[in-house]
Amino acid sequence: MRRAVAINLKIPDNAAYTALVTLRRLGIELARLERAQIVRFDDAPDPTTLMAAVEADEALFNPNKHRVTVLDSDAPRPGEVWIVQDNDNRPVGWRLYSSPDLPADRAVLAQAAERLLCNPAIERTIFPK
Amino acid sequence: MSRRIAVLVFPGTNSEEETLRLLRDCGGTAELVHWSRAATLPSFDAYVLPGGFAYEDRIRAGAIAAHDAMMDHVILGAQAGKLVLGICNGAQILLEAGLVPGTAPVRRPTAAFTRNRPEPHFVCTHVYVKLAIEPARSVLTAALDHAALVPAWTANGEGRLAASDDHLRELQDGDHIAFVYANEDGSVDDTANPNQSALGVAGLCNREGNVLALMPHPERDAWTFNHPDRRRSAAMLAPSGGAVLFRSFVEAVVR
Repeated sequence: MRRAVAINLKIPDNAAYTALVTLRRLGIELARLERAQIVRFDDAPDPTTLMAAVEADEALFNPNKHRVTVLDSDAPRPGEVWIVQDNDNRPVGWRLYSSPDLPADRAVLAQAAERLLCNPAIERTIFPK
Repeated sequence: MSRRIAVLVFPGTNSEEETLRLLRDCGGTAELVHWSRAATLPSFDAYVLPGGFAYEDRIRAGAIAAHDAMMDHVILGAQAGKLVLGICNGAQILLEAGLVPGTAPVRRPTAAFTRNRPEPHFVCTHVYVKLAIEPARSVLTAALDHAALVPAWTANGEGRLAASDDHLRELQDGDHIAFVYANEDGSVDDTANPNQSALGVAGLCNREGNVLALMPHPERDAWTFNHPDRRRSAAMLAPSGGAVLFRSFVEAVVR
């Protein structure tokens, strides 16, 4: 079964904060923004086993600074846009919130991707279904 | 009053000192302008964006810097005809800002200097770049010889030009390809291309020819002591080949 995990920093994410400040400077009103390394697996075990496997992989996961979430589906969550460069299985997930608990809608995601998060010459976007 | 060149310093820029020194050695009146002094940029006549890792390459190399307040002034200046030279990270910023190749609205990038191939590794090696346009095509290269060969050091993990096939044709047809990688004898083939850059591109200019983005560092081969076959002699501080591009740039600024 295809599954995906999101690996976030649990320490302050300076890159996400810089992106948030820049998007606000571009006139895109956001309350907060989260960034995750998404890792997609084609033939994944059950969520518990998958999480344990990711947490044991030192190339992916550093327990001092990361947390792992097994996603409900192999697709962006509400408010999230995935940016893919070379490897379809390793997108960067940007999760945008229009208010502290309200994921941004598709129009805001598209605007943020077009204005900053995605360079279409080398990257493509995957939006929530 | 002499015409002034601003060497922009973003958080993370790291090549500003040698860039400044070479501009001055070439007769330019240049000074460093840090990001906190962005408002002073309109008073300058030309801009140089040096190498480094502006804003730590967050999101993508050059992506955040392209939206910095300093770039507001650089974009306005470039649109008014001021000269702009970007080297390495500076070149990445110019592409992210859309000033080069300049075929779309600003800050809508159509190409990128991105991860090297075949492996996405940092590549640090001595290279030669060859002028691929007629010198007069860009005011920045007007003082160079036809097909001038410029030695430089390439030092990046993301220096490979990438764009769609259609856009690459547009760059060729529009004479945007200012420099290509070449061998020391001036021949051009795949062996000279250190990172599989599309069409062997090392540098691009905009349509008007007043903005040039170059990935390798000519300022790091500007004095004899930093050329690979340097002679350990009293001539170590003599100008080396990389200085010719900066001399051409300074000549264009003061002209």
